[in-house]
Amino acid sequence: MGLNLLFLGVLLLPWASALLVAIFPKPILSISLSALFSLSAIYFCAQASVDFKIAYTWFQLGGQEINASFWANTSAQLVLGLVAFVSFCVQLFSKSYLAKDPSIGRYYLYLHLFVGAMTLLVLTDSILLFYGAWELVGAGSYLLISFWHEKPQGTQAAKKAFLINRFGDIALLFGLIGLGLHFNTWQFSAMHGIAPTLIGIAIITGGIAKSAQFPLMSWLPDAMEGPTPASALIHAATMVAAGVFVGVRVFDITSPETHLFMGIIGAISFLSGAIFAIFQNDIKKTLAYSTISQLGLMWMGMGSDASLFHLLTHGIFKAGLFLAAGAVIHTVHSQSLNDMGGLRKKAPVAAFAYLIFGAGLMGLPLTGGFYSKESIAGYLYSTEQFELLGVLGVGMVLTSFYISRQFYLIFMGPVKEGSSEKNTALNLPIRLLIIASLSIWFSLHPFEMRSYAFLTIYHIPTFWLYITAGTWISGITAAYFTRNWIPSGNYQFLPRFWPSLFNLIRWKSRSALVFETQFIDRFVNGIAGLQVIIAHLLAWVDRHLVDGILVGGSASLSAGTGKLLSRWQSAKVQNYWTMIIVTFALFLLYALFIK
Amino acid sequence: MTNLPLLSLLIGLPLLGAFVLGMGQLKEQARTLAIGLSTLQLGILGYLFTAFDKSSGIFQFNESHNWFSISLGSMGSFMSKYTLGVDGLSISLILLTGLITWVALWNSTEIKEKLGAYYALVLLLNASLMGCFLVKDLFLFYVFFEFMLLPMYFLIGIWGGPRRNYASLKFFIYTLVGSLFILIVMLGMGLAYVDPYETALLNGLIRPEQGFNMDALKAVQLMIQSQELATSSLVHSFDMQALMDYNNCQITSILHPSSGWLLGGLSAREWGFWLLFIGFAIKLPMVPLHTWLPDAHVEAPTPISVLLAGVLLKIGAYGWLRITIPFFLPEALTAAPILAGLGALSIIYGAYNALAMRDLKKLVAYSSVSHMGFVLLGIAAFTAEGWQGAIFQTISHGILSALLFLLVGVLYSRTGDREIDSYSGIVTLMPRFTVISGIAIFASLGLPGFSGFIGEFFSLMGAFTSPFLHPGFAIIGALGLLLGAGYLLWTFQKIYLGKLYLKNTDWSLPDLNKLEMISLFGLGIISILLGIYPGLLFELSEKFVTTLLK
Repeated sequence: MGLNLLFLGVLLLPWASALLVAIFPKPILSISLSALFSLSAIYFCAQASVDFKIAYTWFQLGGQEINASFWANTSAQLVLGLVAFVSFCVQLFSKSYLAKDPSIGRYYLYLHLFVGAMTLLVLTDSILLFYGAWELVGAGSYLLISFWHEKPQGTQAAKKAFLINRFGDIALLFGLIGLGLHFNTWQFSAMHGIAPTLIGIAIITGGIAKSAQFPLMSWLPDAMEGPTPASALIHAATMVAAGVFVGVRVFDITSPETHLFMGIIGAISFLSGAIFAIFQNDIKKTLAYSTISQLGLMWMGMGSDASLFHLLTHGIFKAGLFLAAGAVIHTVHSQSLNDMGGLRKKAPVAAFAYLIFGAGLMGLPLTGGFYSKESIAGYLYSTEQFELLGVLGVGMVLTSFYISRQFYLIFMGPVKEGSSEKNTALNLPIRLLIIASLSIWFSLHPFEMRSYAFLTIYHIPTFWLYITAGTWISGITAAYFTRNWIPSGNYQFLPRFWPSLFNLIRWKSRSALVFETQFIDRFVNGIAGLQVIIAHLLAWVDRHLVDGILVGGSASLSAGTGKLLSRWQSAKVQNYWTMIIVTFALFLLYALFIK
Repeated sequence: MTNLPLLSLLIGLPLLGAFVLGMGQLKEQARTLAIGLSTLQLGILGYLFTAFDKSSGIFQFNESHNWFSISLGSMGSFMSKYTLGVDGLSISLILLTGLITWVALWNSTEIKEKLGAYYALVLLLNASLMGCFLVKDLFLFYVFFEFMLLPMYFLIGIWGGPRRNYASLKFFIYTLVGSLFILIVMLGMGLAYVDPYETALLNGLIRPEQGFNMDALKAVQLMIQSQELATSSLVHSFDMQALMDYNNCQITSILHPSSGWLLGGLSAREWGFWLLFIGFAIKLPMVPLHTWLPDAHVEAPTPISVLLAGVLLKIGAYGWLRITIPFFLPEALTAAPILAGLGALSIIYGAYNALAMRDLKKLVAYSSVSHMGFVLLGIAAFTAEGWQGAIFQTISHGILSALLFLLVGVLYSRTGDREIDSYSGIVTLMPRFTVISGIAIFASLGLPGFSGFIGEFFSLMGAFTSPFLHPGFAIIGALGLLLGAGYLLWTFQKIYLGKLYLKNTDWSLPDLNKLEMISLFGLGIISILLGIYPGLLFELSEKFVTTLLK
């Protein structure tokens, strides 16, 4: 009972916090509420069984009961823990990062709304609630990206993110309804068997949009216009991870073809994201492409435990990278790599953090990233998907390349700009994340990790370790030698595609308007006008023909005959006599000659 | 309390108010009187809502009086009754009517001239709307349905914008054509169908004190079908209950299912269905019968737009669910794919047009067309989910469109300009207004947690899973969600966000006043409430839907 109550608390606390923060916009209140949420969520994860289920009656529809049901299985608990931890770090970091912003209260409100939606998404078992939370996460992201509403790029990017996500949402909607129909249940936990590939692909399409995978990836780099700590939360650790999470949720009930589809999409995103990350000039955009790439890696793991594991470790080190980038931006007041250099002296904590988190990204030993990347490799090896394993090897070279290039450019070399200021409030959450990203939480052995009951670890023979070491070395050295002559602009994959599509649709919508005014309206008005013409015609006919000839004519005709006849009735005796005589004469003529 | 004729009071109170104000004596107190009566009406509605028995699928709070009866000689006789009742379909709609009228009356402060006449006409409109939703007799329904045109015509024609004459006439003629179609079918059905209860009474088959049970009904219907009763002893009526069952149809009539009569390849019953369908489709409005709506909205003053979008359009959906479909169920089922196609067309076409609009009010008007398309799509599904979704969407759209039109009214009353391009970044001037606009915009684009989501989700789901429809209809309809997000977010970004810009620097844009705050946030909260706990509405209409679909 106590646990159920705790669960309800975890579920509702972010929403209540949002309400409270809306009334009392104080960062300190928000942070304490966030701390409370994180502690209770983590405590809940520690206490709850691996298959925690709870359902509340919600409403009835067409004779069947629709429940608000929840299912905190291991994957949900792990991701919930991640959300709780990262969101607390971000809240803490934001206080000084946005200290000068007058609308910081609104920012904290959005953070709580977002965390509430994400918590719901992770914990729910019901298709309807899952879809609802999925969209709410998108809306939360819209609010956070467009937080600085006077920045047109920010609002543009927010709109783009929302619309591309909406496209995925629609695919997900039908995928989920199809899933519900196929298994004849509204609960994920009650689904057993394999769903048709088409349903799986529809669901995965939703995930593609949310995870910014190929080809729906371009909203994520744009979304870097939002506040950096928010990027750490939504575009590194949580929202984009939701796409992977849905893959994990349906992993057991989708067909191998669906998994292969995920794997292929993941491989394309993994490589293209890494390549684009190399050529970025903006510190955050590199990280955004790196996120796309790493999420692609999780998708190559196809929703297996390995990809879930990588979701966790990546969530921590990528959030850390974003926060460290935030600290760097805070120091130099710019996001451009051109303004950075030699910052290891000005921002030592950020430099150290970048080193550790970068090592996690590359998957160097002693970081959690090492195990999770090895586990994905192990999964691919054990399922004999050697093509994807090859992609992983190539991608790892690229990963090592872009992250170490970024590290050289930002922290090494001559100092360019920046004022050093000691800011413990900024550094504390970064330190927390550094500790969390180390390998000791999973295993004390630097190279080996055993499976847990809740997390299967896939192993790979030792030859792979040599290949990995090779990728690190080649990536890092190549980056060192080429760091200064890599052309870096903020290159994008088909940068004009989405804006032109939107403009095309808007432009096309004009033709609907033209159709409306020129055709339908004109048609209707034409009919109405025709009636008026007919009415005038009839009126003319009425006046001139009916009234003039028929009515008027008959009137004058009768008037004329009347006149004529009236002559005969002149009351003169001789006239009567004439008439009688004429009549008689005619009668005689008729009788005598005609008969 | 229960002995009072509550439903008659719902119609009678505003009628009385309209009469008193129409006398032209109470110009100063017109607003107070109208709002007072509307509040009283809301009170009665509140009582009805709590006393309404959700578990029964039949009409409640019934009132019945004989109205008139005519002898048709050898064709029998004809009677019409004043019968009122509330069931799961109408309860939510009368609540909506009461609420939206109340909100519209409060927000009529912009109306400055001919106050007595204005409030009298709004009350008259309210009375005829209530009448439409409450009556159980088709003839009486038609009377109220037609009568509604009159106040609306004058409200747009007198207090409207520059092109008010054109708009009000267009509205009038469009709706008149629709009601003509309804009239044709109504007369035909009245003559073809026999009221089994009254016939049985007249022929002494049952005694008045004896109730009417299924066996007696079956017996009478058998006699009608076998032509045992002389035609001169038949009683015709427009009782909707009687018209729903084709066993009450005389076998000689072309409206009888066994009749082989064809006109243009359609049987008489199919003609009846389509005429009734189109009659109500004009009201909804359904593409391509919608062009009166943008004009009427643009010219109408804000509170009238609110009433028009909030309640008047709902009669279209109500008419389908109450009249068209129950009367011609088999024909409706075969027409389901066409209906779904028209619904999907309305969604997409309305959304496309909204995207092209530069006039904010027109944009909202076209978004109404698009959103009401979901209602048609849900109805065409003929599944419990689809119908519940459609009914829910009807109510939800009533609240959200009222909210959106009020928002447009807020801007228009301050500047007299509705062009989207005339504004930018007004969040800095009107932060509260921006907050509620943001809520309204996210609610209309169907964000979960708001009522629009539930209505659209279940309409789409019903259409997707319906055995009568191809899933493609739902998928096309769902693209409307994408377009909807497009035009709404574009508008939001254009007007509210970005750098501050006003076309005319003299404009003063004070933030919302208290009245606006309460009405706008009130409607927003209702939308959230329904979105979080949709059972509030679902449980009302649950029985209605399950009984009709059986």
